[in-house]
Amino acid sequence: MATPPPVPSDKTSDRALSRRSFLRSTAALSGLTALAASLSPLRELDDFTSTEQFLQKYYKELTPEEMTRVLARIEKEVERQYGIRPHVRDLRPMDGVEFVYCLNLTRCIGCRKCVHACVAENNLSRDPEIQYIRVLKLPHGSLDVEKAEHKYTADQVPEKGFFYLPVQCQQCRNPACVKVCPVHATWQESDGITVIDYDWCIGCRYCEAACPYWARRFNFAKPGLPAERINPDMSYLGNRPRKLGVMEKCHFCIQRTRAGRYPACLEVCPVGARKFGNILDPNSEVSYILREKRVFIQLKEEMGTSPRFFYYFDK
Amino acid sequence: MPTDTPLAPGNRRAWTNGVLAALTGIFALMAGLFLANLWGRPSRPANPLVDEAFLDTAPWRQSYADLARAKEDLSDFDCYACHEKNEPPPIRYDADLNIIIPEEHETIKMGHGSHQRNNHCFNCHNESNLLVLHTRDGRELSFAESSVLCGSCHGPTYGDWEAGAHGRISGYWDRSRGPAHRLDCVNCHNPHAPRIPSRTPAPPPSPLRGPRTDPSREPTH
Amino acid sequence: MIAATRNYLRFLWRCGRIAFVGDWRYYAWMGVLTIVSLVGLHAYSRQLVDGLVVTGMGDEVSWGVYIANFTFLVGVAAAAVMMVIPVYIYDNEELHDLVIFGELLAVAAIIMCLAFVTVDLGRPDRFWHLIPVIGQFNFPASMLSWDVLVLNGYLLLNVHICGYLLYCRYHDRKPARWFYIPFVFIAIFWAVSIHTVTAFLYVGLGGRPFWNSAIVGPRFLASAFTAGPALIILALQVIRHVTHYRITDKALLTLRSIVQVSMLINVFLLINEVFKEFYSGNHHVASAKYLFIGLHGHHALVPWIWTAIGLNVTAMVLLCLPLSRSLKWLNLTCVMAILGIWIEKGMGLVVPGFIPTPLGEVIEYTPSLNETLVCFGIWAFGLLCYTIFLRMAVPILQGRLAKANEGRPEIQGDEQEIPAAFPSKPDRIPTPTAH
Repeated sequence: MATPPPVPSDKTSDRALSRRSFLRSTAALSGLTALAASLSPLRELDDFTSTEQFLQKYYKELTPEEMTRVLARIEKEVERQYGIRPHVRDLRPMDGVEFVYCLNLTRCIGCRKCVHACVAENNLSRDPEIQYIRVLKLPHGSLDVEKAEHKYTADQVPEKGFFYLPVQCQQCRNPACVKVCPVHATWQESDGITVIDYDWCIGCRYCEAACPYWARRFNFAKPGLPAERINPDMSYLGNRPRKLGVMEKCHFCIQRTRAGRYPACLEVCPVGARKFGNILDPNSEVSYILREKRVFIQLKEEMGTSPRFFYYFDK
Repeated sequence: MPTDTPLAPGNRRAWTNGVLAALTGIFALMAGLFLANLWGRPSRPANPLVDEAFLDTAPWRQSYADLARAKEDLSDFDCYACHEKNEPPPIRYDADLNIIIPEEHETIKMGHGSHQRNNHCFNCHNESNLLVLHTRDGRELSFAESSVLCGSCHGPTYGDWEAGAHGRISGYWDRSRGPAHRLDCVNCHNPHAPRIPSRTPAPPPSPLRGPRTDPSREPTH
Repeated sequence: MIAATRNYLRFLWRCGRIAFVGDWRYYAWMGVLTIVSLVGLHAYSRQLVDGLVVTGMGDEVSWGVYIANFTFLVGVAAAAVMMVIPVYIYDNEELHDLVIFGELLAVAAIIMCLAFVTVDLGRPDRFWHLIPVIGQFNFPASMLSWDVLVLNGYLLLNVHICGYLLYCRYHDRKPARWFYIPFVFIAIFWAVSIHTVTAFLYVGLGGRPFWNSAIVGPRFLASAFTAGPALIILALQVIRHVTHYRITDKALLTLRSIVQVSMLINVFLLINEVFKEFYSGNHHVASAKYLFIGLHGHHALVPWIWTAIGLNVTAMVLLCLPLSRSLKWLNLTCVMAILGIWIEKGMGLVVPGFIPTPLGEVIEYTPSLNETLVCFGIWAFGLLCYTIFLRMAVPILQGRLAKANEGRPEIQGDEQEIPAAFPSKPDRIPTPTAH
């Protein structure tokens, strides 16, 4: 500590020092300007989020009054964006109801009407395209999905030598997606529907990686919805328009089924291959099918996910 | 900090100043380029909206019961407008034992059962009263009850249909909230040729990634 | 109390100040890193506005280079312990003064990891949903929640250890053992945990057979303990080159033996994996097939993985030869090992897990330009952080930045250095390099 630090001896050193600190400041200032300018695209972040939405509580913690306000906010947002006043409800599961879906592989002709009815019913993004149902064309005798053709454009279906396997969310009893979500944004309800709180999802896509059925979809871009095809009958956990950067998936048309109706994919099926109902009701169609049909399949049963979606055959 | 640089102190300072000045310039240039928005926004060709015909949930055939309910023209079912009462219409076959459809009934295509076995009109129609149908065991049924007639041969399928496991349905699964609308056999199956005809599928998926399917492309088989 | 706070703030201020001064090479290096970081930030703000559509990801391959880099960097962070273990458990003298550089690297790596996870999120504005108590933290069910905990915990542990040791050095007083030794030992276990948890992130997914294999965890550790120390070997030589800090060749060679053993284990585990996938020949081989030989005419990753295997195997052979005791060869080997592992563990692990999709579709993935720029930006930012940490740490360790010389003219960065002018403890005098 005895020796003082070396002091530059030339007379210009003070000026040199101040010139350098001036240059340092200009470089820093210029750097800060570039930093601010680099964020310039953020000016276009118009409806990314609002204070109200940013601070919104988790679905399960919302009081009824808060829920009313949230639904009103969503209605207002949809109206502003699409010019249509929707009716957004928060439908809760019914007691004594557990939904099960059955699909008759003998009947399915692979016409993809279910795919598009679902898109229309659930206000799915047309651009970029998001679809909850994927119909696989498989050669007779094999359930190996790697042999499947997804984008068949046959003139006429069904084609000889093939059968068709529509796949959508299997509403598993032991869902892989729910377990992995770091923020509880997706969960299984008492009626068996696995739902997503679109206002809570952080968009990490871990659930998408976990799902063995490739049933989950992510909003990579802002959903493109034509206003003229908006379905105004909406529900919070169901078909209200989604935001950029969140997950979504089939929810058995919660806005219909929790109001007692059949899902849209079922009603549009021209061959009646799709069956839906309450498995806890012994008189329901699905109870009959699971009781009477000898062969039915849960897709990838070995995963232990125990789907509520059953594929069956007539003969 | 560095000691292995061969530069003299004055030179070193000049270098430092030079680098700082250059950085100032580069940062300013970058700020300008960022603001100029050179990249533009991503754009993709728009997906055409799907033909609304694919969204239609209506059954594609109307049964006698539907027509009666809708109070539509039932003259097609008034057989004795043309046929003589008490005179069973004759049925003719060609050399291969295929039924010859008379010109008056040219809209009928026969295709019920394999090997042309079910090719006799009066297996289902009652030759002594064309206004009703009849089963093999002699039960007479109105046109509105045609499903029972189908069930007289197709027992297991009829059982499934009764339980709701076969055939189309719409409306309410929860019958306490509303009715379910069940369709009859003939809403989907043409009784004379019951196999469901093939149809054109709706457009294939064209998701964000991967080769896009051109909807105008020729169908491949 | 007030005096202590003032002292601490003064310490922080002086550390912060020194990050902004240096000679022309320092400014040029920092300038380049800042430029790349800003380009990355600009690319990211575009991604925020337009969504992840500006990346190459899609519903088929829903994780890409962001998560690949994240995985690699968690390994780098974990590898800091490979220097801590010899020092604190085996009392290795040569590495003693260098531990802090490894730990600072870990801090920088974790910062990069957190950045990579953040840019991968669709809704970064909702990050607070992840915060325990005020958000909804799905712990312990979700492996991602574990990862959030262990990564942030590891960050805090390392910041504490480095910060405390440096602060003591600044005051020229002996650190209280109870205040850092326990944390060092916790950090050793924690380091293993961060990488194991990251491996479990993948291993736990039953629907992805390529990842659903018990060997992924050990492979992660082996590759981390190869690439991490390799990176440190290179970093130490750079530090030695641009500062007076005394780093012996012996220390580098100690690290070499760590890289050597880890690389052998890494290649061995890879062979295990490849054998199991291909010999049994069941359905689950599709992803491995895609990676190693291509599937249904798609083979984007094949050249990459064989490059990685080539680099790794060559590096392994070189490491086993005495040749790599020469620094020139050792550096080449380290670069090969780092590149090989980056490919193998990043793109070679993340992407094939998604191909084919669970529904059998093969959709390939290529990172987009915007995505690549974001990655470069984060790497540059991480290097920027590491440089700043070193810029603060080296003068403190050398005794040039100390409480004792408070009030004297501050370091300007480009003055002629006379290390002897700032004597520290006799055993810590840096040896001036001859030139």
